Amino acid sequence: MLLSQVTEMLPVVLVHGGAGQIPKERSQMSTSGVCSAARSGYLVLQGGGSSMDAVVEAVTQLENNPSFNAGCGSVLNITGEVEMDAIVMDGKTLASGAVSAVRNIANPVQLARLVMEKTSHACLTAEGASKFARSMGVPEVPQESLITDYSRMRWKKNLVPDANPVECQMGKMGTVGAVAVDAEGNVACATSTGGMLNKMEGRVGDTPCIGSGGYADNLVGAVSTTGHGETIMKVTLARLILFHMEQGQSAEAASDLGLAYMKSRVGGIGGVVTVDPKGNWAPRFSSLQMAWAAAQNDTLHYGLYTGEHFTQAIDDPH
Amino acid sequence: MSAVLVVHGGAWAIPEELAQASVDGVKTAAREGSSVLRSGGSAMAAVEAAVRALEDNAVFNAGHGATLNIDGEVELDAMIMDGKTLASGAVSSVKDIANPVSLARAVMEKTSHAMLTGRGANLFAESIGFSTVPADSLVSEFERKEWELRKKYMKGVAEDFKLKLAHDTVGAVALDCAGNVACATSTGGIRNKMVGRVGDSPIIGCGGYADNLIGAVSCTGHGESILKVTLARLILSHIERGKSVSEASQLSLQTMGDRVQGAGGAIVVSPSGEWAATFTTERMAWAAVEHDVLWFGLEPNEKQKEMLHQ
Repeated sequence: MLLSQVTEMLPVVLVHGGAGQIPKERSQMSTSGVCSAARSGYLVLQGGGSSMDAVVEAVTQLENNPSFNAGCGSVLNITGEVEMDAIVMDGKTLASGAVSAVRNIANPVQLARLVMEKTSHACLTAEGASKFARSMGVPEVPQESLITDYSRMRWKKNLVPDANPVECQMGKMGTVGAVAVDAEGNVACATSTGGMLNKMEGRVGDTPCIGSGGYADNLVGAVSTTGHGETIMKVTLARLILFHMEQGQSAEAASDLGLAYMKSRVGGIGGVVTVDPKGNWAPRFSSLQMAWAAAQNDTLHYGLYTGEHFTQAIDDPH
Repeated sequence: MSAVLVVHGGAWAIPEELAQASVDGVKTAAREGSSVLRSGGSAMAAVEAAVRALEDNAVFNAGHGATLNIDGEVELDAMIMDGKTLASGAVSSVKDIANPVSLARAVMEKTSHAMLTGRGANLFAESIGFSTVPADSLVSEFERKEWELRKKYMKGVAEDFKLKLAHDTVGAVALDCAGNVACATSTGGIRNKMVGRVGDSPIIGCGGYADNLIGAVSCTGHGESILKVTLARLILSHIERGKSVSEASQLSLQTMGDRVQGAGGAIVVSPSGEWAATFTTERMAWAAVEHDVLWFGLEPNEKQKEMLHQ
């Protein structure tokens, strides 16, 4: 009985498309984007893939989707260019790979995985990351292919002298990410972002910083975070949530505790997706919205506003 | 409240020819940092001053005397964190800067960001009139020879760690009279590292962490292992749960050894003035100033003292 329950809980994949305030006209695109990313990740798991394969696949889908602030659709920095950060972490070995301020790459999450697997390092930055990408035969893409009309419009809007930086950040805060547990109980996380709108050249946020943008440990669980990067770093949010789980809190309670602490201590809002090794999962956020979707036991779960939780069969195309 | 300052000059198998200079270097840096505290300076100002002294000393792998990457260039990482606000600043893979810890502090104080990398960090330095130095001025004779030796024999980074010859990081933690804690860490990284490699030093929670409610930590050792266990934050989580600073450091370094086979060291100070310098490598040069006493050591369990004014 217990065994069959465990079997039904695994595998599972849970993705987010960023915490923030998503303009109404874009909310449908965000929801369908996270749902299709969760489906893709789940297909990998059903085909016997590892949790690492699944989170990389899900995040690749989100990077390729221009609705999200990662890969194609990334926000632009102050000089109108795209610089991206990404991380992956394997809960079995605690190995991680990250890239920061990388340019001209369609899928930073895949490059982060290569850093983990093909080098003795855990993070490569800027030019060095590009150099490594070339040595691995990762194709360089023109910057234009990563820029959407929407991101260019927002960049220009934020350059005008009386721009409201808070308003301009809204709706494009979000980072994308995924966590998963495979049939063997291995957990993994992946997070990818274009960063903050109109950021300085070379700015690195929380995303590629282990313990802030994500963390995965087979003994505890996995977390991917989103929100205001500098605030997430102050509390090393992913690691904080896992400390609470080590102390016996559920994925949901630990996520809420971590987010509440970030709000009370440093006034920051954000969101997380969290799993434990048994397959319990929780998408939690203190922002107005966070697009999220999960796939488990042939069921797709998704939501956007607090308390929203829709379900449908995984093979239902709508 | 009595102020405390602790510094380290890196945890590794410090060879005999560098031993005395390393001990002298950390003692000098500890004196520099503690004089800032004694004249009423903040913990932030003290850790910055102590780390600058270590960066300026060519014996240590930070600032002057940093290790060279695979292309024979110096690329530096540093971070600083203020336990009062949890604000931090960091630079990674920055070139031609003699004191990266001060640039990290500028990132914290003069931008809305917490970390700048590569060319962006240098552009920022330029924009605030931060002085740059010629690349060659940071390269010591010792490191140039080491690099050429490795180039000749094509020895990899992994091999260096098996031999425990990795040359590491410097750092400081402090508690000031107002009860504020801070940490700072600075490094040239691993010898023969890939271009753009970022280690644990500039990563918050790994190379360092400071929180007025718990304490401050600066870490050293195998960067990729420190990253795996987010060592600084791990040590503080043990302190949060009631462990002493020394138990918390030992437990966490043991976890790093057992779980990911990594060796390293850490210095810690708590808001009540408890402090510890702990390591699992063969040696770590460290020094601490508490009241009018200067403590220092190099070997495991070595703890020597002398009066500050003598």
